[in-house]
Amino acid sequence: MLPTPKPRSFVDPQVLARLSGLPLFARRPMQGAVSGRHPSAQRGASVEFAEYRKYVPGDDLRRLDWRAYGRSDRFYVKEFEADTNLRCCLIVDTSGSMGFGSGAVNKVQYARQLAAALSYLAVQQGDAVGLSCVAEGLVQSIPPRRNPAHLRHLFDVLENIQTQGETSLVPVLHELAETLGQRALVVILSDFFVETQLLRDCFEHLRFRKHDVTAFQLLDPLELDFQFQRPMRFLDLEGGSSIFAEPTEIVDRYHRALHEHLQTLRHVMVNTAVDYHQVRIDEDYEQVLVRLLVGRTQRRGRR
Amino acid sequence: MSFLQPALLLGLPLMVLPIVIHLINQRRYQTMPWGAMQFLLTATRMSRGFARIRQWLILLLRTLVIGALLLAVSRPLASGRFSFAGRADTTIILLDRSPSMMQKVAGVLKWNAAARQLASALQTVGSARWILVDSDSGIPREIASPDALWELPDARPTSAASNMPAMLQAAHDYIETNQTGRTEIWIASDLRANDWRAESGLWRELRNGFMEFAQSVRIHLLAYPQVVPENIAVRVAKLQRISTGNSGELSISLDFTREDILSAPIAHAEKVARDRGEDGAQDEGRTDRPITFPVQFEVDGARSELTVEMSGSHYALKDHRIALAQHQRSGWGRVSIPTDANRADNDFYFVFDTPAPRHTLVVSDDAQNANMLKLAASISPDSAIRCQAEVVPAGQLATAAWGETALLLWQVPLPVGATATLVHSFVERGGQVLFLPPHEQAGDEWLGVRWGTWIDGRRAVTAWRGDEGLLANTESGAALPVGKLAVHKYCTLSGELTPLATLDGGDPLLARITTDHGGVYFLATTPAHSSLASQGVMWYVVIQRALAKGAIRLAATHNLVAGESSRWTTQSSKSQSHNLKSPSPVNGGGGFGVGSKSVSAETTESLARTPSRIEWHQLAGDQETISTAYAEHQGVYETGGNLLAVNRPIAEDYARVLTDTQIRELFVGLDFVRIDGSPGNDRGMIEEIWRMFLAMMVVAMLIEAVLCMPRRSVTRSLVLSKGAVS
Repeated sequence: MLPTPKPRSFVDPQVLARLSGLPLFARRPMQGAVSGRHPSAQRGASVEFAEYRKYVPGDDLRRLDWRAYGRSDRFYVKEFEADTNLRCCLIVDTSGSMGFGSGAVNKVQYARQLAAALSYLAVQQGDAVGLSCVAEGLVQSIPPRRNPAHLRHLFDVLENIQTQGETSLVPVLHELAETLGQRALVVILSDFFVETQLLRDCFEHLRFRKHDVTAFQLLDPLELDFQFQRPMRFLDLEGGSSIFAEPTEIVDRYHRALHEHLQTLRHVMVNTAVDYHQVRIDEDYEQVLVRLLVGRTQRRGRR
Repeated sequence: MSFLQPALLLGLPLMVLPIVIHLINQRRYQTMPWGAMQFLLTATRMSRGFARIRQWLILLLRTLVIGALLLAVSRPLASGRFSFAGRADTTIILLDRSPSMMQKVAGVLKWNAAARQLASALQTVGSARWILVDSDSGIPREIASPDALWELPDARPTSAASNMPAMLQAAHDYIETNQTGRTEIWIASDLRANDWRAESGLWRELRNGFMEFAQSVRIHLLAYPQVVPENIAVRVAKLQRISTGNSGELSISLDFTREDILSAPIAHAEKVARDRGEDGAQDEGRTDRPITFPVQFEVDGARSELTVEMSGSHYALKDHRIALAQHQRSGWGRVSIPTDANRADNDFYFVFDTPAPRHTLVVSDDAQNANMLKLAASISPDSAIRCQAEVVPAGQLATAAWGETALLLWQVPLPVGATATLVHSFVERGGQVLFLPPHEQAGDEWLGVRWGTWIDGRRAVTAWRGDEGLLANTESGAALPVGKLAVHKYCTLSGELTPLATLDGGDPLLARITTDHGGVYFLATTPAHSSLASQGVMWYVVIQRALAKGAIRLAATHNLVAGESSRWTTQSSKSQSHNLKSPSPVNGGGGFGVGSKSVSAETTESLARTPSRIEWHQLAGDQETISTAYAEHQGVYETGGNLLAVNRPIAEDYARVLTDTQIRELFVGLDFVRIDGSPGNDRGMIEEIWRMFLAMMVVAMLIEAVLCMPRRSVTRSLVLSKGAVS
């Protein structure tokens, strides 16, 4: 008898059921271990013709195209596309700032929902899913695996995430770019309250390693609107000093600073070919995922 | 600045309300854990310049809004000084009506400007009761409103000088008598020294009197110290009718006074110099610039003209002859110059007549002395004047011609009984009496004075009054040779006397009894017991001066000083009660000299015989003058067969303006506010300025609203709204 699935607050089966009809595609060829539904960077044995290549000694003679030899008196090898699975690496920011939320959920809970849904979808279509939690360093890391049992372990880790400390997203991304191996789907769930120039380096590093990077910037509505009616004392969730401010006095300058940051970040994302999604956490995460999946279907990676 | 509703200013502490609310709001802060601290830090760092002071500006504007609202409802008045005083219970108005207030500055009469600004200011300030102190009578009278200043003839300018200390004294007495509440005294004046009489001892008493009041008394001075150097005043200095056979001539000496810039206070003189772009030296030289103007003479309708070239601030025209009609013995005339800045000093009226015979009665028990007295009194100093002296026994005095007598020389025991009444009546009518010691003492007294004992021994005169009286210096300023007089025997005097000359040892040689009209003198020696006869100059001058004073009452023409005759009416009524000890006001009004009747207090005294002023008939002068005010306005009047010429006091022509320091010293210790008026300025002196504060409040509210307005942030619109995806 199979054990009863443990109910998870961040997993909504109905949402997963609705999303299961939408495949999760990579935008560029992946490098998987087994056959899957994603284009591979390698030539394979699918029925989809890829290209002719001149015969070189050592090639399998069974793949020699005799008809082409008959027409051109030259030896060509006929190659076909390969389909493979992908390795999806979920990177969740668990720094103190991700614990902020003015509504029903805070940012880390929202990230938990997104990560759980994505991991479920990936595993369901045979892709490997890993998880890395980042705070003041790499707090926890689960290597990508594709068996359903791994999914439970991943959910357990997600459930036990605690937000604390400052963000060390930049060094961790550099580290993961090197350790993940090439051609993985990297999904980053963070508020990206870090220096954008440093993030540029990270994304370029990931891009250099041919990863398909997707970034979810999770922002609370209060952080965006900054609507307060009385003087506030703001306590830094990442352990810094507190600030006493009259919100009505600084709201303009706050918005200006936030706007500059978001603009710069958007620019960095576009330049580094990151699939960037700015998300208000009062939005239904199902819609966010639908937009992601549909968008990826339209921009499915070509061989 | 003062306020009509000062009680509302108690709400001024409410101005701190926005600050208190701000501080309370600061205490009501909330604590919130926050993730996006980097933007907060950036926003705080960007909080510089205008952004930093914006909140303080808003706070300041909110404070100003409340302050301006409170000030507006307190009904502030724009005036010279800040005050929390509200509406006064009594407002006393002292309006300078002297001729100098008729001066035009910037085309506007000073009096008009003063009346208009006073009416406007006082109407604005408001008061429960308005009191106007008449500058002539000094009697306070209630008026309906300050606007009445325009309508009341009693408030119009006159030819008489004002007496500011007396007017203030009247105001003081009114406050004391009526026990008024908070009182305001408003004075409008051009600060002429002759009107203010700064040297008067009354000022000290006034200051002490006002300071002793329990209620608040504030004095406002609306000053018009401007001078117009181009203004010229004309005055008849000397007038004499000279007989030439059957006809005659008038010999007129004129004084022209040009208002000197130096008569202004120093600060004002400098201001005028600045306005003209000249330095002081040029100013001094400017009055030396000769100017030519016509002088018109009018004698009984006949006009003649003379051109005068004047340089400097003073010019004298001596002995200008005007031929009279044949057999014309008396009449009146006028001297006029063209209209200038002050038309009140462009005309001068005069009357003339053949001098009346100077008749002297000598009553003496010593024939030798009687002859000496008769001789001194019968020799005329002027061929045109006829002098007669008659020795009359004491028993026949009742039949003497008292109505024609100017001087009574008395060297018998002091009069008693009916004789005393007769002499007393003579003095009451302006007659002069000189008592000499009789050989035999009867011990009688007259007006509280009696002869003492004869004292032998050579005595000299140690002191005498050279400024006034019978022993006064001559017109040229030379002293009479009183010091050379040797007295061998004299008689002591007892009683209340004013010594005019004193012997060594302190006994009086010549003394005077103070009376209302006539002159009563006591000489302690006789020509036989002194060198009076051998050194006849002094003796002759004393007799002739007494005779001249006594003859004034006999003249049919009188040149009066405006305002002096109004006092005469008062003195006349006083004389009914025989109050001979009341002080007699003496004001040298500028006499015409020998041959004409002196314009002085004595002149008015002599008019005690004339009927009431009501019966005056105007022959020349301002036709708009009401008959009851003839004595205060220049012109020629006829009453009871007498011709009267009324003119401004001589001091009006030479009056300097008091300096700021002098004015401050006059009111030192009092609640005093000075406001310098400007005749050419149509703006009110005091205006309600609540509209200005209301406008300030509205402007402050608008600015505050603009500053508080949540600016539609471009950046905010760029931040993602719900559902947006990049």
